[in-house]
Amino acid sequence: MFRNKRFYICVLLLSSVFIFGFATLCMASGGALEQPGGHTPVIPNWYAIGWTAVNFFILFALLYKFAFNPINAILEQRTTTIESSLKHAEEVKVEVDQLRKEAQNNLTESRKEAQDIVARATKAAEEAKNEMIAKAKEESENIKAKAEAEIKAATEQAKLELKDTAASLAIFAAERVLGRAINEEDHKRLVKDFVDEAGDLLC
Amino acid sequence: MVFGMLDGVFFKLGPIPVDHIIFTEWVIIGLIGLIAFFATRDMQMVPRGLQNAFEAIIVFTYDFFTQLMDKEHVAKKWAPLLTTFFLFIILSNYSGLLPGAAGLAGFQPPTSNWNITLTLALITFCSVHVAGFAEHSVGYLGHFVSPSPLMLPLNLVEEIAHPLSLTVRLFGNIFGEEMVIAFLLFMVPFLIPGALMALSLLLGAIQAIVFTLLSASYIAAAAGESH
Repeated sequence: MFRNKRFYICVLLLSSVFIFGFATLCMASGGALEQPGGHTPVIPNWYAIGWTAVNFFILFALLYKFAFNPINAILEQRTTTIESSLKHAEEVKVEVDQLRKEAQNNLTESRKEAQDIVARATKAAEEAKNEMIAKAKEESENIKAKAEAEIKAATEQAKLELKDTAASLAIFAAERVLGRAINEEDHKRLVKDFVDEAGDLLC
Repeated sequence: MVFGMLDGVFFKLGPIPVDHIIFTEWVIIGLIGLIAFFATRDMQMVPRGLQNAFEAIIVFTYDFFTQLMDKEHVAKKWAPLLTTFFLFIILSNYSGLLPGAAGLAGFQPPTSNWNITLTLALITFCSVHVAGFAEHSVGYLGHFVSPSPLMLPLNLVEEIAHPLSLTVRLFGNIFGEEMVIAFLLFMVPFLIPGALMALSLLLGAIQAIVFTLLSASYIAAAAGESH
């Protein structure tokens, strides 16, 4: 309040007004106010001027004590609080921005990683599929080859069995036709001829 | 009740006589002081109630003078004095409007006495020159011989005219208003004076603003000019 020297000078100068008035009041208190007939002369009444100046400065001091000083203090405090809150908010904003960037980066990396994982899994699955297909092909080829070999062997076997059966039938038929037993040599020759012919027909 | 003059001793404070107008000033000061005390007794960061209202008045007047004056530091320095002027004058103007004030000797508006308005104008007069010297030091004296030394008499008349006009304007308006209300009350005791008293509310506020505004502009002119 009283830090300002210039303001002090102002207060001193202004105080001179009411000091002068107050001095006049003391001198004139007996006479000026109680004029005959209740009328005061129409000149500056230093009594009123002095009292008003005193009253005004009392009011000024009261307002300084109970209004201007506390209100200025609370306004300054409020300004400081708001400034610090704004500063804090700014810091929080920067921090949030940084965190958001980090989160964004993490998300991008995670997405990339997930894509890599999916790509790797797809590739592995593709390879497994191809391998399985190849294996299945190979197996089917083997089975096919084996089956063909078996079929061939069975065919050969059947041919042989057929040849034997046919030979036996031929001998039996020949014996019935000839009515006699044939010797070993005939037998062999007949069988051979029959089988050759039958074999040509069958194959 | 003789308007424009002091009207005798109301009571004596020891050897010092106190008249009606001075007593009214005390009531006004007491009222403002009490409001200020209760408004700022328990200051809160988030203002409520009386604190909010009183803060609003103080901040409004401060902002008002800051906008009016070019230099913010000058406004900051003189705003409390001007705010005190405003509060004192507006309550002084309204003190005569209280119901039954005409019949109570202690409620004559202090501003309807030209000695009181002269005091306020003299305080403004002193403040203007203190502000001038505080801002420009001795260079402020150059203001009296500006733009030419020939203008010195006119400038001096202007300096005297300022407090004189402030005195007469405030006194004349409030005294006139009081006279008209008293006359109307004498002639038509009902309704008609009520309308005029409502108008006086506006007039009282306007006169308080005008006095404060002119004081602020005189201070701003003295502190702001380059001499």
